[in-house]
Amino acid sequence: MRNEKPTITLHHKVLFMNTNKNVASSVLSLNAITKSYGPVQALKGVSFDVPEGSVFGILGPNGSGKTTLLSIILDVLKANKGNFLWFGHPGSKEQRKKIGSLLETPNFYHYLSAVNNLKITQSISGRGTMEDIDAVLKKVRLYERRNSRFSTFSLGMKQRLAIAAALLGDPRVLVFDEPTNGLDPVGIAEIRQLIIELRNTGHTIIMASHLLDEVEKVCTHAAILRTGELLTTGRVDEILVDDDVVELSASDLNALAEVLKQLSQHVVVDGEMNTVQVTFSKGTAKLDEINSFCFQKGIVLNHLILKKKRLETRFFELTNN
Amino acid sequence: MTQIIRTEWLKIKNYPAFWWVFGITALTYPGINYLFLYAYHDIASQKSTAGQVLKALMGNPFSLPEGWRTMAFFSSFFIYIPSIVVIMLITNEYTYRTNRQNIIDGWSRKNFMTAKMIDVLLLSAIVTILYAFVALLIGLSNTNIDAPGKWNLTYYIGLFFLQTLCQLSIAFTVGMLLRKAFIALAIFTFYSIIVETIAVNVLHFKYNSEAGRFFPMEVSDRLLTKPVFLGKIDEAAYQQSLDAVKYHVVYSICLLILTWLFCFWLNNRRDL
Repeated sequence: MRNEKPTITLHHKVLFMNTNKNVASSVLSLNAITKSYGPVQALKGVSFDVPEGSVFGILGPNGSGKTTLLSIILDVLKANKGNFLWFGHPGSKEQRKKIGSLLETPNFYHYLSAVNNLKITQSISGRGTMEDIDAVLKKVRLYERRNSRFSTFSLGMKQRLAIAAALLGDPRVLVFDEPTNGLDPVGIAEIRQLIIELRNTGHTIIMASHLLDEVEKVCTHAAILRTGELLTTGRVDEILVDDDVVELSASDLNALAEVLKQLSQHVVVDGEMNTVQVTFSKGTAKLDEINSFCFQKGIVLNHLILKKKRLETRFFELTNN
Repeated sequence: MTQIIRTEWLKIKNYPAFWWVFGITALTYPGINYLFLYAYHDIASQKSTAGQVLKALMGNPFSLPEGWRTMAFFSSFFIYIPSIVVIMLITNEYTYRTNRQNIIDGWSRKNFMTAKMIDVLLLSAIVTILYAFVALLIGLSNTNIDAPGKWNLTYYIGLFFLQTLCQLSIAFTVGMLLRKAFIALAIFTFYSIIVETIAVNVLHFKYNSEAGRFFPMEVSDRLLTKPVFLGKIDEAAYQQSLDAVKYHVVYSICLLILTWLFCFWLNNRRDL
């Protein structure tokens, strides 16, 4: 048996290292927001904080209240109970002017061109200049069609124009409701890249989505809703981790399993994948100690990873789907 | 305020449908008055006894100062054309959901309604200027240079403005309530031309009641009385209608205030 060190691979990379931002202060605080449509309760006392510099994903199945929640914080809908604070103050038009928003569908004057629609956004919000309008149109690849009427745009182009309107004047806070709706795969990748760039330049992004892969790839924080109830909120990596699941492999799986039973009661041999999975309480699995323990027991590991659950798995667990 | 007007101008200036209807409005007001003017000249130029009697009875309703009243009355028939513009301007916002986008972008609901109120005010002012210009043009061409009291009835410009503003405000309210251009226009026209006219006349002739004068359109309809020559059919009733104008100015202003208070309240209350 060669005395080789096991390869420790991170199965799920921690993508969301955003430690350079001041995440202590809240851009948005929700306090027991409740909203009903007649007998239907769309939001049931939802409370959470959005830290500055975060990409905050609001997740939930259809009808969970994501868009209702965003509509309330943008003053399009009125909450029946509860309140919210932007930058520590009650929502106001002055604060909305500083926030770039895309809510539900792109809302523009159909008879106006892209550039004339953005002039209206600029006139109301006070964000940006004529040069900025050209710049954001270039950023979303609509500059060549800047003088075409909105009614002639495809769904993807309409969505890109809405994103351009949100980006106008480089607001520090952006609210996106399903930002990749209607986009083709290239468009989705571009928007995802754009969100990552915005995150890296210190913008705070609040994003509702039901595309778990999208959230997992770009969000630092998330809140999960189900039928108007907040199930969990926090950093994405914290939400993903419930128990620590360690996956190991060695030449003799049964011997390895026997040794591991001294560390945990939850040991499962997966003959098909040729691995052993051991479950530890959240935050207690120490890979170097496990490696050392096995080595002392005469077992050389050839595979050792801390597995994190995919957001999709966690989401289905939480929403009971 | 400047920012609100600028934004509304940005919405309108490249809106082809607006300019088409606006163009039709601009043609209609001179058109209707010239039509009646030619009809009058046609009658007045007849050499027959009947023609000469009619001419003597009518005088020249297009000469000033009477022309201010005559042309205000005829012009007021066409309120339905600018009301199309008003209904379009508000229902478009609902159709395109831009009313909610305006709020998201940083307007308050009050800003949004103020913008729409300014639209209605400006449109009323433009229509009034159009009426005043046509009345002045036709009036001066039908009046001797040294005729006395040419400007005596110029207050009809103010009355015309008040009536236009009131009726366009009602059209706006209907558009805001129903949100769909075609339905709003159909209901506004049907109510104004048919429902209210029948109701007012039924109340007047069948029940001998004047309660009809408080109906939404009728309140301001009574600001612009018939031309004098039509009043000669029943002079006592005509004098009564002239005397009632000052009261209807007050009623119209009250209705105007109530209409806009309702619109602001409704916009503030409902989800977008």
